[in-house]
Amino acid sequence: MKTFLSLPVVWVFLTLAIYFLAQGIHKKVKWALTTPILVTIFVLILLLSVFDVDFGTYDSGGKFLSFFLGPSVVALGVLFYEKLDEIKSNLLPFCIAVFVGGIGSILSLIFILMALKAPEILMRSLAPKSVTTPIAIEIAKSVGGVPSITAGVVIAVGIFGNAFGIYILKFLGITSKTAIGTALGTASHGIGTARALEESELSGVYSGLALCVNGLVTAIVTPLVIDWIFA
Amino acid sequence: MLKSLTIIFLFLILGEFVNYIFKVPIAGNIIGMVLIFLALKFKLIKLEMVKPASDKLLKYLVLFFVPYGVGLMVHFETIKAHWFSIGLAVLGSTILTLYLTAFIQEKLQKK
Repeated sequence: MKTFLSLPVVWVFLTLAIYFLAQGIHKKVKWALTTPILVTIFVLILLLSVFDVDFGTYDSGGKFLSFFLGPSVVALGVLFYEKLDEIKSNLLPFCIAVFVGGIGSILSLIFILMALKAPEILMRSLAPKSVTTPIAIEIAKSVGGVPSITAGVVIAVGIFGNAFGIYILKFLGITSKTAIGTALGTASHGIGTARALEESELSGVYSGLALCVNGLVTAIVTPLVIDWIFA
Repeated sequence: MLKSLTIIFLFLILGEFVNYIFKVPIAGNIIGMVLIFLALKFKLIKLEMVKPASDKLLKYLVLFFVPYGVGLMVHFETIKAHWFSIGLAVLGSTILTLYLTAFIQEKLQKK
């Protein structure tokens, strides 16, 4: 059984099947907690733990799916072009929103950790938590954080944004599709953007652009903020 | 579909190549994204040539992130020691970032 469970195709199949079922459930029960990515990841981790299969074995199949993130990022460039006119008219508000949101993300995270008297290493590791994993890891390394803490939390932030972001924003009275997109991309990078795309193409475009711009803002600002606070 | 998928991969390869040659600290897929945008903007390629594949890829974007999410299990031990501080800080900061960004954009943009 153990050897069978180490076949890559088993995990490709289970990922597809569970995601398919999770989508079906979400169509019937539209709760944040039934968000397909949340349910799928939860069930897969549960299965892996029950059958005592490690992540490396899972990823021997999983990597065939995550591989498609590469061309999908290129596809975002096509979407930007398609929606160019709709962004142009709002370029300045968009940039201000991402800039303030991105810096707010870094500062609020550090201040909350300070208030909790958390160790400094956490602040250095988590300051770039809102940007996409590869950028966040590079930033964390450059400011003396622990990349594995960064990697785990960044993904958790993305899943949180994907599952709860839209509900939180609507609850707080945000209605504009463009604002929802910008917020999801700024706060919860690619995984949030994937949800924005499901909401509407326009939200998806703003979200995708926001994740790019905030990646840049966070890469520049994080070292400055860390220097300023721990000088 | 095959043509459009091939073109998307062509730009991905171009991005990886630029990354490889110039050793820039930007991922190849991000460079590919900028390149395909520029190629469309300067009419080197037509939208119809890439749209079928790009629409399909974006439709399944969430699915492609699932293995990364499962990868969280590797980090449980590292995060466990400080789960309370991390949880509270990340939750508070993410909600604030979401709201701050959305609020500013909604107030400033043209209706």
